[in-house]
Amino acid sequence: MYKVIIIDDEPLARQLVSTFLQPYKEIEVVAECGDGFEGFKAVQELKPDLIFLDVQMPKLNGFEMLELLDEVPSVIFTTAFDEYAMKAFEAHAIDYLLKPISRERFDKAVQKWMQVATAKNTATFDGMVPTNVYEGYQHRIVVKDNGLIRIIPAQDIFYIEANDDYVKIVTDAGSYLKKSTLSHIEQSLDPQQFVRVHRSYLIPISQLSRIEPYEKESHIALLHCGAKVTVSKSGMAKLKTVLGW
Amino acid sequence: MRWVLPLLALLVGGIHLCLLFYFAGLPFDVALTDSIVNTGILSLSVWGMLLVVNAYPTRVGVIIYAILIGSFFALSAGYASWQAMRLSIGKDDRSYYMWLAKTMPIRYIINVLICGWLATYTAMEKQAEALENKFLKQTDAAVLHKEAELYKLRQQLQPHFLYNSLNSISALTMIAPEKAQDMIGKLSDFLRSSVRREGQEKISIVEELGYIEAYLSIESVRFGNRLRVEFEKEYADDAQIPPFLLQPLLENAIKFGLYGKTGNVTIRVHIALQEDMLHVKITNPFDNDSQPPRGTGFGLEGIRRRLYLLFARTDLLETHKADNTFITTLKIPQHV
Repeated sequence: MYKVIIIDDEPLARQLVSTFLQPYKEIEVVAECGDGFEGFKAVQELKPDLIFLDVQMPKLNGFEMLELLDEVPSVIFTTAFDEYAMKAFEAHAIDYLLKPISRERFDKAVQKWMQVATAKNTATFDGMVPTNVYEGYQHRIVVKDNGLIRIIPAQDIFYIEANDDYVKIVTDAGSYLKKSTLSHIEQSLDPQQFVRVHRSYLIPISQLSRIEPYEKESHIALLHCGAKVTVSKSGMAKLKTVLGW
Repeated sequence: MRWVLPLLALLVGGIHLCLLFYFAGLPFDVALTDSIVNTGILSLSVWGMLLVVNAYPTRVGVIIYAILIGSFFALSAGYASWQAMRLSIGKDDRSYYMWLAKTMPIRYIINVLICGWLATYTAMEKQAEALENKFLKQTDAAVLHKEAELYKLRQQLQPHFLYNSLNSISALTMIAPEKAQDMIGKLSDFLRSSVRREGQEKISIVEELGYIEAYLSIESVRFGNRLRVEFEKEYADDAQIPPFLLQPLLENAIKFGLYGKTGNVTIRVHIALQEDMLHVKITNPFDNDSQPPRGTGFGLEGIRRRLYLLFARTDLLETHKADNTFITTLKIPQHV
């Protein structure tokens, strides 16, 4: 018996998926969720084999939810986005279904998943969604903080530091770790506001207080929060372009 | 300008003839010859000068350029006439020769004035024409750009809603076929009025509200009757509004209102006409915790951009949060 969770903000859309799933006797719908928060809780608790996930949802969107999960199940996206936008996520999911979903297309996706599941070779989501294809740049970062989900608005960020497999997001309210890479975070945020000044640092322009020369070819940036951050030669060049020096 | 120049030449020649015949007291045949030779040479010179000015327009110092060129052609014309008259009539008529030599300075001055004025006028006209062309090109581009942008924004507003509605209808066909049929009717009404208003800059508020009603009835099917929208109207029925502005605002209100809470949600829309300004106030509940820090994508930003393109104002859309309610105020100037 396979466990499936349907996450979509529209009740009728959830009903459509569960109706389409009825002929599959080996599949059981263990939960239906109306937003990303509920979805996150249900997936963490029930550990389903497969989720049907809408992308555009309130509270947490589908991608943000996936980024937070400890163990990511197989995913089939259900979305009204156009094909072009969804192509970008193809590699990260079993399949994507464009609304309105036809039964034929739905069955194909489920069979595709069945093959993967029986081969015990579950395609896993690597947590690295090319976020910027979705509604432009992100204005927030979601992190897990002691089991709670915290949404950090981009304007509250002091700076972001690379930390092995994690990034450390430093804010007024403290710092948070998120399993991601600095390049991925850099791509998702607005490059006019956030500049990668060093291999290990991403800083918001608004936090910049002063820049002082350091060793040859490198600088030190003083931030409003009091932190000092190393600026590499190429980081300095990027700063100059963004600030128009 | 083409027929003005020969006329001008005739006029100048005529004045010249009269001056010589009546005031200087020259014999008519001498005065006529002098007038024809002078005016003829001057006309040729002006013609050459205008060719030069038109072929080599200047960007800076139009007046100095024109005066230099004008003086050059005026002096050449004067010299040519002097030689022609000296060698023809002046050769036999000693007194005419003396008189000609005495009047040469004033002839030069008159030539310079005529050529200088024509050169300046032509050069400035040429410059004005170039400026006007540049301006027209720019405004054309601006208008095209504006239309393209409006079209794009409208396109962006439609597909999600349409695809999601079709998906809901698809679900209804399996679980409640009569409701599916009902919703197809509503969706068709909505689409029909969308197509009808495409390209219209403004429509009456009554028409727009009819459209909004079709939209809301679809939304309430999609969200399982949890949605209630109350309208309060204080307006003249002839108030106008650009199409496709209210719907995305309500969409926003629904998103925030409906998702923050689990129970039923009431959205209030207050519409009033005050001093040539249509005010639309949309109040919806929202959950502080789930509120994203910025506007949701192009929703509000897109509307702000459209308002700017239509009215060149940035203060027509305002949002305001207070105690779990979100208030959106939209103002539409009536007589622009």
